[in-house]
Amino acid sequence: MKLDHVFKKTTHDIPGTFGARRDRLPEVPEGLLKKCNKCGRAIIAEEAKKAGYICPRCGGYFRLHAYRRIERLADEGTFEEWDTDLETVNPLELKGYLEKIAALQEKTRLHEAVVTGCLQIDGRKAVVAVCDGRFMMASMGAVVGEKITRAVERATAERLPVIIFACSGGARMQEGIVSLMQMAKTSAALKRHSDAGLLYISVLTDPTTGGVTASFAMLGDIILAEPKALIGFAGPRVIEQTIGKKLPEGFQSSEFLLEHGFIDGILTRDAMKETLSKLLTLHSAFDSKGPVDGKESAEEPADTNASDPVSEDGDPADLIWNRVLTSRMMERPVGPDYIEALFTDFVELHGDRYYADDPAIVGGVARFHGQPVTVICQAKGKNTQENIARNFGMPSPDGYRKALRLMKQAEKFHRPVICFVDTPGAFCGIEAEERGEGEAIARNLYEMSCLKTPILSIVIGEGGSGGALAMAVADEVWMLENSIYSILSPEGFASILWKDGKRAKEAAAIMKLTADDLYRLGIVEKVFEEPSPYTAKTMSGVIAKLDGQIAQFLALYGQKSAAQLTEHRYMRFRNM
Amino acid sequence: MIKKILIANRGEIAVRIIRACREMGIGTVAVYSETDREALHTKLADEAVCIGASAPSESYLRMDNILSATIITGADAIHPGFGFLSENSRFAGLCEKCNITFIGPPSEVIAKLGNKQEARRTMKAAGVPVIPGSSEPVTDWREGAKIALEVGYPVIVKAVMGGGGKGMRVARSPEEFENSFQTAKAEAENAFGDGSMYIERFIEHPRHIEFQILADSYGNVIHLGERDCSVQRNHQKMIEESPCVALTEELRREMGTAAVKAAKAAGYVNAGTVEFLLEKTGRFYFMEMNTRIQVEHPVTEWVTGIDLVKEQIRIASGKALSCRQDQVRLSGHAIECRINAENPKEGFRPSPGVITDMYLPGGKGIRIDSAIYSGCTIPPYYDSMIAKLIVWAKNRSEAVCKMQSALGEVIIEGIDTNVDYQYEILNHPDYIAGNVDVDFIDHM
Repeated sequence: MKLDHVFKKTTHDIPGTFGARRDRLPEVPEGLLKKCNKCGRAIIAEEAKKAGYICPRCGGYFRLHAYRRIERLADEGTFEEWDTDLETVNPLELKGYLEKIAALQEKTRLHEAVVTGCLQIDGRKAVVAVCDGRFMMASMGAVVGEKITRAVERATAERLPVIIFACSGGARMQEGIVSLMQMAKTSAALKRHSDAGLLYISVLTDPTTGGVTASFAMLGDIILAEPKALIGFAGPRVIEQTIGKKLPEGFQSSEFLLEHGFIDGILTRDAMKETLSKLLTLHSAFDSKGPVDGKESAEEPADTNASDPVSEDGDPADLIWNRVLTSRMMERPVGPDYIEALFTDFVELHGDRYYADDPAIVGGVARFHGQPVTVICQAKGKNTQENIARNFGMPSPDGYRKALRLMKQAEKFHRPVICFVDTPGAFCGIEAEERGEGEAIARNLYEMSCLKTPILSIVIGEGGSGGALAMAVADEVWMLENSIYSILSPEGFASILWKDGKRAKEAAAIMKLTADDLYRLGIVEKVFEEPSPYTAKTMSGVIAKLDGQIAQFLALYGQKSAAQLTEHRYMRFRNM
Repeated sequence: MIKKILIANRGEIAVRIIRACREMGIGTVAVYSETDREALHTKLADEAVCIGASAPSESYLRMDNILSATIITGADAIHPGFGFLSENSRFAGLCEKCNITFIGPPSEVIAKLGNKQEARRTMKAAGVPVIPGSSEPVTDWREGAKIALEVGYPVIVKAVMGGGGKGMRVARSPEEFENSFQTAKAEAENAFGDGSMYIERFIEHPRHIEFQILADSYGNVIHLGERDCSVQRNHQKMIEESPCVALTEELRREMGTAAVKAAKAAGYVNAGTVEFLLEKTGRFYFMEMNTRIQVEHPVTEWVTGIDLVKEQIRIASGKALSCRQDQVRLSGHAIECRINAENPKEGFRPSPGVITDMYLPGGKGIRIDSAIYSGCTIPPYYDSMIAKLIVWAKNRSEAVCKMQSALGEVIIEGIDTNVDYQYEILNHPDYIAGNVDVDFIDHM
């Protein structure tokens, strides 16, 4: 049955008689509704505000005014603003420029395009600079450069961390070459701050482009970004015009940068304060109380002569081959399982800052018994799908470069490094060669040998060749009972030596790749017994042992000077 | 003056409201989701505006779209019906800000009554009996046990964040308390991540009795008698009737007075419902106040002769109540059966689809409020109630017979309904005897 235009209207027949005449007609008062500038839909302004200036319809992030951002970040009443009296200069003597600045000051009630000062986040003091896009698109002229530089210098002098929220169209054209020089000036100030061993967190917001991207924005020890922000050097329109091509969807977005290894992570607004607070605490002074309270004596020494869980009789080649297969079992705990079980407050940091973020390597900052550490693992997946995403734990050059970047960061902040090795080998492919897999591995061996902080590497599954060694130039290397560590996979070994990959079992028998063999050879310091079957569910016993031993390791090596550490590490390999 | 009303709802209640407006000469604007393009309310209204996609969150719950539709069509009031935005104080507040008359109580009253603890406090202070229990959340069982003793056994332990029957346990004696408390708490922690609990006297086998209230902006408040909504499945009402056989004239006066007091204490304006639990002993307790028109309002309309929707519109227009308490007379007996598109044989699974053919009963004392027609589609996105069958007769037994007869006439083809299930209830000896409580369906 169709109901179109079948019902008779009644409204014109009976006069409306209800209520007194109203003097005001229904209308939406000014400011109640807003149009989202991302999705174009109408939204209730109050709702967007409550959500942290995020569109409730499309999840798009609106630009935050500088003071609002500070308000959301600072402990109440702790923000102290600095340098509000610098005067905008007009080096090009542009007509109307200073008038425009004055008008903007009037309109925005901002002094210039950046607000600087110090504040406390959960009681931790930090220096902060926040760009405000309402003021000349937060472009960097002399005042912006000067304010940031002064803030960073003061942070260096007072030994405080710096957090900069970048949002900018780039260097300010109106101030010409003087603006360009601000890039060098701010970068130089940050270099001194970094050389003083201090933390700089850069938070990129929509949009961060041009000379700001090419200076202070990209220099953070840790670089975070808000979701879907436009971040790039040249603006997308300029690129399109130059190359005469349409840019792909998502080009120059935060997500694009994460994938390309240039930022450590994407941070939603509601997680901003908590994460920054966590990072500040992880980078604040930690008083090591030496050997961790009573733990070491309670722990059994590691099973350096692990008894074989497989029956002793039978063909030794079978037993060894069994271990090879066990080391590769998909059910075995993977790197992230160890991070989860042994550490707290883990914050994953992404990217090599050159080309990509390699999912085959997971690393970041965490705490071990309260002590900040850098933890890096080669990460296999728990199922086929995860394994495809993680490239079966075979790192690309980007992965090794990320690992090295995190190790260098650990060195700067005097954090020990703990590595979990589990890889069939470095990724073997065209792209890997193009980007220098060999160079990346070599660089790690080279740099790790003299890293001025303790390094511990634990082989938890497969220790495949150079790909494994690139995370195992350590003060001590430990192995799990059924893990293996070798020059090459038995398959590869057989194929090179005997031109027959099928003789892998035979090869394994002579390669001395088991934990037991390697312990006897003095290649590794400790071996840890495993339950059978060994899975994420049955790993608690191993974790307890590791926990005790890592605590002892940190206590022992934590006391050594940088020179002692590097000498010890040098000699460890010198003698092999 | 209200000249045009936008009905921010769908289904039978939207149609019900449009009909009242048509009779009053008020223009109507329907809003509809993409799925409801051919729905009866869309077609019956003078104008109709599409407000979004099928999911309620994209249409009937979209405050901004509904406000825009109101402004564009020049409507001066919004009737929210029930469900959707009807008890959303933020929505009512936005209407107030836009100078749109929200046909219901003021936003702050909705907010106050929507907060369970605050509503409880308000009622207690006004001398309306509330279920004895803890006024603050409890997390420790020992502390809970102390409160339980004060409250008196049996008690029910309820999660503060609770819902869907999770995190609820009855303890009949002090010996049972620790176990009940800890079990409920663990369940609550699992389900809601919060183990704070309330402890309340457990009312055994109560009737669900509610009083219809009308209040104007001049402080006049009257009640229109009660509805017995004890026949419930999973806390969903199935059959409602007025009056309730268990109420003496004296108890009706006592409960009615309490309901009026409750409405006054809350500063209530417009039509509302005060819900009580009634013990076999005749003791009753305030449960909550619903700040909207109810599904079951027709039974009250029939026994009082008052059109509640028209009365809502009159009140919202600033008129005084059209009658005094002493003019309210309950006459005869009315029963309502909710007809749902669901399959009782398959665990009451919703049964959306196209109604290929239908025949609905009529005659003296039969009313059907519905939005279905032959060939219409019941979409899967919304409540499964598709029609209400209401009967009226001089007394309850005649009304029951009439309902039995009417249910036996209903034909709805193409989808499954609960008509046969309702028919069974109507023929159950306990129901016929009026011997029901909220656990009736469970024990049937």
